[in-house]
Order: sequence, then C-alpha cells, then structure tokens
Amino acid sequence: MGMKKFISISMAMVMGLATLVGCGSAAGSASKGKEEAIPVIGISQYGQHASLDNCREGFLQGLAESGLVEGEDFTVDYQNAGFDDNITIQIAQNFSANNVALMCAVATPSATACYAAAEDKDIPVIFTAITDPVEAKLDTGNVTGTSDKLPVEEQLELIRALQPEAKTIGILYTTSEPNSVSAIAEYEEKGPDFGFTIETIGITQQAEVLQAADSMIAKGVDAISNLTDNNVVGVLPSILEKTNEAQIPVYGSEIEQVKLGCVASAGIDYISLGKQTGAMAAKILKGEATAKEMPYETISSFDTYINSQSLEDMGITVPAEIAEKAIEAAN
Amino acid sequence: MVLADLFISTLTQGFLYALLSYGVFITYKILDFPDLTVDGSFPLGAAITGVFLLKGVNPFLVLLISAAFGALAGWMTGFIHVRLGVRDLLAGIITMTALFSINLQIAGSNLAIGRDADTIFTAASTMALLGSMPLMMRKFIVSLVLALLVKLLLDLYLKTKSGLLLRAVGDNSTLVTTLAKDKGTTKILGLVIANALVALCGSVVCQEQRAFSSTMGTGQVVFGLATVIIGTTLFRRFGFVKGTTAVLTGSVFYKICIQIAISLGLPANLLKLAMAVLFLFILILGDRRKDGAENA
Repeated sequence: MGMKKFISISMAMVMGLATLVGCGSAAGSASKGKEEAIPVIGISQYGQHASLDNCREGFLQGLAESGLVEGEDFTVDYQNAGFDDNITIQIAQNFSANNVALMCAVATPSATACYAAAEDKDIPVIFTAITDPVEAKLDTGNVTGTSDKLPVEEQLELIRALQPEAKTIGILYTTSEPNSVSAIAEYEEKGPDFGFTIETIGITQQAEVLQAADSMIAKGVDAISNLTDNNVVGVLPSILEKTNEAQIPVYGSEIEQVKLGCVASAGIDYISLGKQTGAMAAKILKGEATAKEMPYETISSFDTYINSQSLEDMGITVPAEIAEKAIEAAN
Repeated sequence: MVLADLFISTLTQGFLYALLSYGVFITYKILDFPDLTVDGSFPLGAAITGVFLLKGVNPFLVLLISAAFGALAGWMTGFIHVRLGVRDLLAGIITMTALFSINLQIAGSNLAIGRDADTIFTAASTMALLGSMPLMMRKFIVSLVLALLVKLLLDLYLKTKSGLLLRAVGDNSTLVTTLAKDKGTTKILGLVIANALVALCGSVVCQEQRAFSSTMGTGQVVFGLATVIIGTTLFRRFGFVKGTTAVLTGSVFYKICIQIAISLGLPANLLKLAMAVLFLFILILGDRRKDGAENA
C-alpha cells in the first residue's frame, strides 16, 4: 500500500514537473512575444569543436561590425546538438515554433535540419562551415551562407614551396562525407599540375583513422595534407604523434590544425568566415536583402599559417617570400 | 500559438519514431530478443529511400521498398542466430556492422534530397487531400495516420495464429515446441517484421528531413528500448492498454522530454545524462511495482 502511494506521488511529481516546465517555456516565449521589437537569432551548431566555435564567434562579431547590438537589435538563442543528428531536428523545430527571425546553422547536418523546419514558415536560414552547398541542396530557397571550401591550389603551391623534392601527398578522409569526397577529387585533379601524386585512404568511422594513418605512413608518402574532415581532425594530435616519429610533415587545412602541430596551412580562418556570415545575416535582419536573392559566398582571401616549431622538427626551412606573409599560429 | 507549433512538431517526431518503437517492442518485449540490428536497419531504410527518391520513384512505394529491405536485414540476423547458432546479441551486432558498409555502398555517401523530389509529405496524393494545410500540419497528419495505421495492423496481426505463436516464443518457448511448431522460424519471423518496421521508420525520417547520413542510426537501439520501457512502465497499472499504444506514448514522451530540455536551454552535453536519469527513474518505478506485486 505504501509502495503504491509512493509510486502515485512520484508519478504525479514527474507529470507536475513536466507541466511546470512546459508552462515555464510557454511563459518564456510569451514574454518574448511582448518584446516583439527584438528579433531572435537561433544558432544551431552541430557540436563543439574549435573550428565550429570560431564560426559562431565570428558570426556574432560580424553582426556587431554591421552595427547590430546584441540585446537591442537582436537576441541569440544558441543551441548545440552534441553531434547528434536527431537533436539537430528538434533544435530546428524549437526555433521554428518560436518564430525566430533567422536561423544560423553551423555545419551541414544542422543546416539540413534548420532548412527542413524553416521551410513552412519561410524563416531565412543562413549557414556556415559547409563545403559544398550545391551538393547539400542548400543553394536555392530562403537559404544562403558561406562555404568553407578549401583553397586546394594554394595548399598544393605551399607544399611545393616548402618541400621542393616531395612526390606524393597522402590524404585521409571519410568516405561518407561529401565535403571530403569533393575535396579529394580536386586534389587528384590539381595534384599533377604541381608534380604530386595523391595517395588517399578512406575511412568510415573515427575509430579507423589511426590505423589508416599507420598504413599511410607505411606507404612512404612525402607529406600528408588534411581536409576539414571531422573524423580525421578529431584525432589529429595522435596522428601527429605518429607522423612526427616517421618524420612526415602534416599540412593542416585551417589555423586550429596548425596550432595543434601541423607544419603549415593555406587555410581558412573560421573567425573571418563567421564574420562574413554575420555580415550577410545583418543584411537580412536590416531588410537590405533576403536569403532568397543572396547567393552563397566562399571565402575570398586565404592566409598562410605556419608553426615554426613543427617546421623546425621536420627540418623544413621556409622560403623568405612565404615567411614574409605567413602568420605564426603556434602559441 | 508558439507552444502549439512546438507541441505539434514534437508530436510529429514522436509519431514518426514510434514506428521504430513498435519494431523494438516486438523483439525486446514480445520475443525477449535484444536486437541490435536496429542501428543498421534504420539507416538502411533511409539510404534506400534517399536513392529511390532521387530517382523519382513514388515516395509511398519507397516506403514499402525500404520496409522490404529492412525485413531482409531482420531475416539475416534471425538466420545467423537461429540457423548458425550465434548468440542473439552477437547476431545483431554482426548484421548491424555489415549494414554500416552496405548502407554506404547503397547511398554512395551522405545524401541530400532536393526540394524538387517528392516525399510522402508533398506527393500529389497527399496534396490532393491535405494541400490546403501548411507543411507542418501535413507532416503531423501523415505521421499520425502512419503511426496509427501501423499500430492497428500490428494489433490485428498479434491476434492471428502466427501472432499468438510469436508471443508464445517470448513467454514460454517450450510451449511452442510442444505445439509442434518451430520456434526458430517464429523468431526469424519476428525479427523480419521488427526490422521492416525499423527500416520503414528510417524511410519516413529520411523523407521528413530530406537527408541520409551514415551515422543517423547511432543510438537508435537505445532510443527504441527507452521508449518501450518508458511506455510499458507508464501503463503497467492499466492492463487494458495495448503494448503498441504504450510504446507509441513512450516515443512521444521521449521526444517531449528532449524538447523540454532544449526549451530550457539545457546544454547538449548534458542532454543524454538527463535522459539517462529519467530513464533510470522510470525503470526503478516499474521494477518496484513488479517486485511489490511478487512479494505480496
């Protein structure tokens, strides 16, 4: 009997809590409704890692640089999905139900989910950190943003300048990642122009990366170049441990990777990519343009990042004309 | 208005994923078979769907094709377990692992389905009936109809001879043998039906999201088990509520909990922990009741 009572009470508590929470969020959104003057930007980030965080930070800086003040001109509802595709869906629906003025999606799964949820209400979606918006079918409709397409040619040029004798470049990539697949195709197309042959090893899960790195080293490549492949970049420090031992220089695809110990990169600064995205969002919020009519943008300028310590470890000397414009990424 | 929208789209998610819960209900609750095939057969349904939708195949036909492939996956697990004598857990793991590659082979890579391809939510027949409604309501109604239709069919099936046999295998497999029936065949049949439903769920989710990703299956077994256990525990005291109704509610309840957590601004990193705590809480309540009944 006592047990039954305990259960009834606990059940009631659960239900009560659920209702309370439900009301709480209802009250929250109601008060939002009153201050309707301030539009809400829903930021849906796929998960937390340095490049994606930089995108978001840059995005907010871009809005600020366009003269919009957080708290006055807009408020931010930031959510991250912890790399769970199912959560991206519910985050997007939450934004849609709350009638946010604009959704900012960081990385492809979040963008896909936001676009699906926003379609009905025609809420503009602005994305960043997507390599190929055409492939992701995010190039038409009330959606626009910035692509983080890699500067493959500049990277090949950089590797050639730093390693004049090198013949083969190895690349590890996730076969299911369309971004990586299209980058590989570009490497294979442009590699020969710079006298390189490209060796690739495909993986399907993060757990396979280190083994793939071992086989890449065993193949005796002269250099390894990274893409922005989430699985590969996620275990970059342990890849670098192996390649350092084997004395194979690894080139990054953006500044964070060079910070971690890659020798150099002709790459993207995700903060400036985010800023560019923020500027686009500001135009939409100010009513100067719509996402429908704005084409997606690729980053216009690339920087060369170097890590002097790693370069020294590999015995690479940097030609003066590169050293001049290169940015030291190591702390 | 805001809350209504949120409620409707959360219910929609609950209904969509209920199809998977039905499948797990059959294997876990009826057959007493811990089937890990689900993590592979869910994206299998989505992969098949992505490929066929891009080819312009009728989206309703695609549902059936996906279910058929899911059935095949279930049969594979059943065959490995029953005929080759591999333990149930391992049989599921083997099929799930194989499916990861097969799914990628089918789809090529992660897929995005453009707005020019029709889905069950935008097909001509759906538009003829519900065309005046916004997409959100169409998704809600289509998913509700699907969830109820499949539930109804499943309830009817479980009352047939074959369905009763299925239930007997889980409850008392010796009885099945004494009835001169092969319990192995019945088990395989259960796995076939369950994974057909799971792949059907994958297909519907793919059509709703217009995307397939190779990792979308990760954690679906856990979701399925959670909804089955939450559902059956919540309704334990109401003997007249059917198991399928219970897991449908479980699925909706789960999605509502996640949505509440998101609305409260709970960090994503803590989301799974919150679900685990809720899960444990409900599980303890359920088990306490059972123990109490047994001790009495």
